[in-house]
Amino acid sequence: MTMTHKIRTRARVESAAWFLSPFVVLLAAWLVAIPALDVSPRTFPSAPAVWSALVDQTAAGELIPHVLSSLGRVFLGAGIAVAVGVPAGLLMGMSAALSTFFSPLLRFSVALAGIAWIPLATLWLGYGNGAVVFVVFNAVFFAIVYNSMLGVRQTGTSLLRAARSLGASRWQMFWEVYLPGALPNIVTGLRVGLGFAWRGLIAAEIIATSTGLGYTLFLARQYYETDVIILMMILIGVLWLVMDRLLLAPFERRTIQRWSGERKARA
Amino acid sequence: MSFLTVDRLNQVYTDVYTNEHTVAIDDVSFTIPAGEFVSLIGPSGCGKTTVLNIVAGFVEATGGAVQLEGVPVAGPGPDRGVVFQDFALFPWKTVLANVAFGLKMNGVGKAERQATAQEMIDLVGLSGFERKFPHELSGGMRQRAAVARVLATEPSIMLMDEPFASVDAQTRRVLQQEVLRIWDLRRTTVLFVTHDVDEAVFMSDRVIVLSTRPSQVQADIRIPIERPRSWTDMHTNEDFVSIRRELMGMLGVEGAEVAP
Ligand SMILES: Nc1ncnc2c1ncn2[C@@H]1O[C@H](COP(=O)(O)OP(=O)(O)O)[C@@H](O)[C@H]1O
Ligand SMILES: [Mg+2]
Repeated sequence: MTMTHKIRTRARVESAAWFLSPFVVLLAAWLVAIPALDVSPRTFPSAPAVWSALVDQTAAGELIPHVLSSLGRVFLGAGIAVAVGVPAGLLMGMSAALSTFFSPLLRFSVALAGIAWIPLATLWLGYGNGAVVFVVFNAVFFAIVYNSMLGVRQTGTSLLRAARSLGASRWQMFWEVYLPGALPNIVTGLRVGLGFAWRGLIAAEIIATSTGLGYTLFLARQYYETDVIILMMILIGVLWLVMDRLLLAPFERRTIQRWSGERKARA
Repeated sequence: MSFLTVDRLNQVYTDVYTNEHTVAIDDVSFTIPAGEFVSLIGPSGCGKTTVLNIVAGFVEATGGAVQLEGVPVAGPGPDRGVVFQDFALFPWKTVLANVAFGLKMNGVGKAERQATAQEMIDLVGLSGFERKFPHELSGGMRQRAAVARVLATEPSIMLMDEPFASVDAQTRRVLQQEVLRIWDLRRTTVLFVTHDVDEAVFMSDRVIVLSTRPSQVQADIRIPIERPRSWTDMHTNEDFVSIRRELMGMLGVEGAEVAP
């Protein structure tokens, strides 16, 4: 192992420790507070109760299918949104007229993206996977289109001029300049969109299906199973963080940060 | 034979909101023969950048015409290589990929364009930095990379807009000499915009002076100083001193001393 390697590994471990520290504090407070304040399990579960809910559910073979079906919906919906939304946003951004025209509409739609579409989604697609995936798609789509477009508009004039004067065709401009130039904003759009997507997913699962974390979360309410409710909430939060840390963050490290030395995507 | 012809150029900018007109360039004509290094100087805001942008094809003139080798200029193209003040290197590409960019856009195969790019990188003194990204380079190195990128496509003319304005004074001198060294090897025609009199005289075969806005050509001065030139003996060169004084007078910088 080289010196820089060692330093980098140490930095990683340190940053992971800092990242986890507030959760450790929260867990400690939780462990102490429930018995100390004598909270009823119907109001809020104790940490050990949630832990045993996790063990029971896993043993019963129920948890993993719910996790997988929720994850599958997020990936499918978000995947389609990226595949359609990035090119659409870039193309809009390439034309001043189109981006000016669509900008107000997109900002309007970002606020409505996801949950507000559940009634229409179930009317159009019925109850089931289709409606849920549509809601996820919808939540990510508008954020991706809007941010991709913004990314193109923010690419510096001299970069565009340089590329054109070096002989880039429109097609080459798209792949070689607009796409990489907009990447920081695209990642921001994906972050924002995925946040909407998880919320949309939970809401849609409550209404439109009988599988998934959102469905389980709401079902538990009928039996006053606060331990299951909290377990589902924790799982959703953890899945979101894992997705961010395992997919988005490494992607950012390998692209935006490597190109710029900056540590964050553009807002 | 005149190679670049700028004929009765006129540029009026219209403000989109107030509908106010600004006559940036009134009437500017000049020609540049092949292989000459020509500087365009003038006070800030007189329209130097505008002239260069019209020649580059970034801006369409409201009047007049530009011809390169007898062909009217329409839009940007690799026959006119532009070196930008802010370098305009692609942050997502390595130095090698930046330098090879023009060749890639014009369909040159990977092996060939990398070989050419490497040659250009060696030429500008950036060997060893091929795999670096622009943000890892100093200002002077970025400017070298930008010059290499333009040279790689072998343009008929190089257009440079205050290319050294954003590097420190020390580096600027070094880069000026470097660009002259490289230019001497290829003798590409150059149109060089600057507001720095010393730089213009040091670099050029000819200096064209624009008047204040709305601008016209105020003077067109030949620089007979022998090449290769170096800053070490420039301030004792009689031609340099007298032309410099004449230009300073024209630009209204009377009584200025030669900088050490
Ligand atoms: N795109 C533009 N729109 C409106 N006015 C402009 C534009 N570009 C330049 N100008 C104006 O034209 C004049 C000449 O500008 P410029 O060519 O940049 O001068 P220089 O490079 O000599 O400093 C200035 O008054 C400037 O404000
Ligand atoms: Mg200028």
